[in-house]
Amino acid sequence: MSVPMERIRNFCIIAHVDHGKSTLADRLLEATTTVSARDMREQILDTLDLERERGITIKLVPVQMKYRGIDGLDYVLNLIDTPGHVDFTYEVSRSLAACEGALLIVDAAQGVEAQTVANAYLAVDHGLEIIPVINKIDLPSAQPEQAAREIEEVVGLDCSDVLLASAKEGKGIKEILEAVIKKVPPPSGERDMPLQALIFDSIYNNYRGVICYIRVTNGTVRTGDMITFMATRRSFQVEEIGVFCPDMRPVDELGPGEVGYLIGNIKTVEEARVGDTVTSSRNPAIAPLPGYRKVKPVVFCGFYPIERDEYPQLRDALEKLQMNDSAIFFEPETSTALGFGFRCGFLGLLHMEIARERLNREFGVDLVATAPNVVYHFRDMSGSLIEAHRPSDFPEASMIEEVLEPFIKITGFVPSEYVGKVMQLCQDRRGVFVGMDYITPQRARIVYELPLAEFIIDFHDRLKSVTRGFASIDYEHAGFRPSNLVKVDILIGGEPVDAFCFVCHVDRAFNRGQEAVRKLKEIIPRQLFEVSLQAAIGKRVIVRQNVKPLRKDVLAKCYGGDITRKRKLLEKQKEGKKRMKQIGRISLPQEAFLAFLKSGDEEEE
Amino acid sequence: MPSSSPAMKKRSNAKRAVSLYIHIPFCESKCPYCSFYSTAMAPGKVENFLGALEAEIDLLKAAHKVLPDVRTTYIGGGTPTVLGPSHWVRLIDILEKGFRFLPGNEVSVEANPGSISRELISLWKEWRVTRVSVGVQSLRDEDLFLLGRPHDAGRSAEAMKIVTEAGFSLSADLLFGLPGQDIRGWHESLKGVIGAGADHVSVYQLALDPGTPWGDRPPAGLAEGYPLYRWAQYYLEKKGYRQYEIASFAKAGKWCRHNVVYWLGGDFLGLGPSAWSCNGFERSRNVIDLDEYCSITGRGELPVCFSEILEGDVLVSERAILALRTRWGIRSRKFSALFGAGSLDTIMQRLEEIPSHLLKRSRGGVYLSREGMRVGNSIWQMLLP
Repeated sequence: MSVPMERIRNFCIIAHVDHGKSTLADRLLEATTTVSARDMREQILDTLDLERERGITIKLVPVQMKYRGIDGLDYVLNLIDTPGHVDFTYEVSRSLAACEGALLIVDAAQGVEAQTVANAYLAVDHGLEIIPVINKIDLPSAQPEQAAREIEEVVGLDCSDVLLASAKEGKGIKEILEAVIKKVPPPSGERDMPLQALIFDSIYNNYRGVICYIRVTNGTVRTGDMITFMATRRSFQVEEIGVFCPDMRPVDELGPGEVGYLIGNIKTVEEARVGDTVTSSRNPAIAPLPGYRKVKPVVFCGFYPIERDEYPQLRDALEKLQMNDSAIFFEPETSTALGFGFRCGFLGLLHMEIARERLNREFGVDLVATAPNVVYHFRDMSGSLIEAHRPSDFPEASMIEEVLEPFIKITGFVPSEYVGKVMQLCQDRRGVFVGMDYITPQRARIVYELPLAEFIIDFHDRLKSVTRGFASIDYEHAGFRPSNLVKVDILIGGEPVDAFCFVCHVDRAFNRGQEAVRKLKEIIPRQLFEVSLQAAIGKRVIVRQNVKPLRKDVLAKCYGGDITRKRKLLEKQKEGKKRMKQIGRISLPQEAFLAFLKSGDEEEE
Repeated sequence: MPSSSPAMKKRSNAKRAVSLYIHIPFCESKCPYCSFYSTAMAPGKVENFLGALEAEIDLLKAAHKVLPDVRTTYIGGGTPTVLGPSHWVRLIDILEKGFRFLPGNEVSVEANPGSISRELISLWKEWRVTRVSVGVQSLRDEDLFLLGRPHDAGRSAEAMKIVTEAGFSLSADLLFGLPGQDIRGWHESLKGVIGAGADHVSVYQLALDPGTPWGDRPPAGLAEGYPLYRWAQYYLEKKGYRQYEIASFAKAGKWCRHNVVYWLGGDFLGLGPSAWSCNGFERSRNVIDLDEYCSITGRGELPVCFSEILEGDVLVSERAILALRTRWGIRSRKFSALFGAGSLDTIMQRLEEIPSHLLKRSRGGVYLSREGMRVGNSIWQMLLP
């Protein structure tokens, strides 16, 4: 069924985590009989197991729904869902660019949260028509009027005819569909112009290669066409185009306003970048669609295989993961402590965790991650700007003219009784107060600017614990700023251990150095001699602790008969020691390194 | 072809003398920490054992034509004192018939305070026993009870008294690292055996060997061995005992020559079930079980169940480790003469990894310092290939 462009509606759903986005999507599919009741399962559009398990949506399949409105006309509704996390702001913006309207879902019991606002503003920026929907009205604690007031006051949307729904119970679904038809404007575009289609997502499929999710703005695309990606300048022949219903269904042609997929023997997602413009090779458009940029990783960490001989598996897994997710950056790295591994870059902490978990789950690689760090810029004596992806890239302090680190602007929605604690937390993290206002007498919006480095350590957990989980937070990048940062080396027996060194603000160096030394003291096995543990900035030692020498396992008698047995025992013990890593005169088991890095994780969780 | 080397001459002209060990495989009761082989006494069992021992000696004689002379003798176990006087008479008879004991032969006998008797003492006196090693373990009754020893502290004191009165050199074995043991209690035992006239003290850390009741289910509250050992080193040396091996302290000239043979790579011949022998570079062990020992020797076969040839890096590192147990340590010239200068270099290189205060170096070689002895077990590991 083909419908005229006036009866196409491209829209997305934006919502805070847990406010019911996936459930609402499920209901829309049912109501439009896009999916038969028999095939229906929960969170049907979430593609990864991980998403379904965590209840979060990273990437969601765009879906075409057919709907007969109460006006008796048939419409095509394309639901383009967006990743709801700030790590993926760029991807969100590209998805929004493919739409003309958005459903803004707000939980009737929880009201407006930080992400709701961030994403709503993003949608407004893209000129989308926003339809507020108050969801979960079935909850006993639901306060739809309160939620509506918050939407009006905080987001600034008119809620005089706000939609009330319970996606769980299927209430208000029809009204939502009608509102989409009435309020979301139809796409505009010219069939006869050269092809311009936006790639708003691309995934890698083992059998088909890269599948691009596209939204056609002008012109048409057909199977067999030669196309060019305008940013990467790569050309391909279209093997198949189609739409998601939600399974892939090939079609002959995609025209202006239409949303679907494109397959063309594309090997990696790197070649079909999100935000790029597809055009016709024979009759190319004059300019690409606006808004494309290449995403740059902001958070880095080292990934090392736990079993050292699994390095090739880790490399293969990362390569495959990158085919799927071009935002992941990696390059080989060698650590004296951990052996061969990779320095990996991510869009944020969640992105990093997802990658780590997918490597483990989908590729079966057991790995250890070093503590994450942000990307640093520093200006050396010659005035040139250098980018550092790891603490060990830091030059000697005397060589540095100025260090710059990324800052973020965070916006938190906090119950009023926790305002003081949250402000304290932000201050502790070198935060700079920007502003605060009360959304309601019970809830405040707090805005701070703080270094991303402070945010990625364990900010979320601290926030959760000081507010008992009642605060929500969102952030946006706020550029690089000069900072008094130092590299702190951790030395064991006078030898620096690369895997343990870190960069932090000079004021925090002592505390973090102390913490690292304390942790190390607990996990390093006693040695034959006293071992010094130090934290140092350059040559200046700021923390020092000694580990007393080994005292247990003193001696055993040994006469004629014991000799062979004793030797066997020693050989066995020695075998265990082969897995040890020599740091100067000190042998540390691999487990000690893992324990050190993992104990950091636990504090984060 | 005649050789001009004096060492070769010596070796070819004289039979090599050995150290002789006899394992008496009986105990009154089994201690929960002990991993040595022993079995309960039963009628006829001792006679069978003595018969088999005699048979083993005969078989050795047949195999080697002539048995080496004996320069040190050690009767251990098990508990040699559970044998009565008549059995001892038979044992001595068998040994005297089987071997030629060189003049100056050191003869040590292990004794349990619970079963030592004046009759045995006079028999030993007659047979020229020189040392009696008494398994005191502790002079505190609560320790002895915990250890499951068949005697109390008073009995130990009495046993030591009759040994010294008879004019034997007394050696006392003590255990440290016992559950609930502190320096004060440990000191009491050390002081007690010194007061009883021991001129040799062996201190052993309680070992939890697999296969023993305590190895499988360790008792609670085991004391840390290090400070107790350090105290023994300090106190015994102050009282005139010199530490000549990791676990052994002796007054001047009273060290046990038999044991030193084990550590410095001498030949030894072990008889009885589970006994080990080492002949040059071959080490072997007898079957562990008494019944098996009796039946194999009864069939006219040597009761050996395990043997290995020692060679290469294994031999070198083992010799280095054993030598470092003693106060003489590794003697450079002797070591390189035996194994080559390259082997000595290898060992010295491995020793470089060890903190310098754990070792003492002299012109002639290298040995462990007091601190080094305390962490011997960890040093051995570093010397392995």
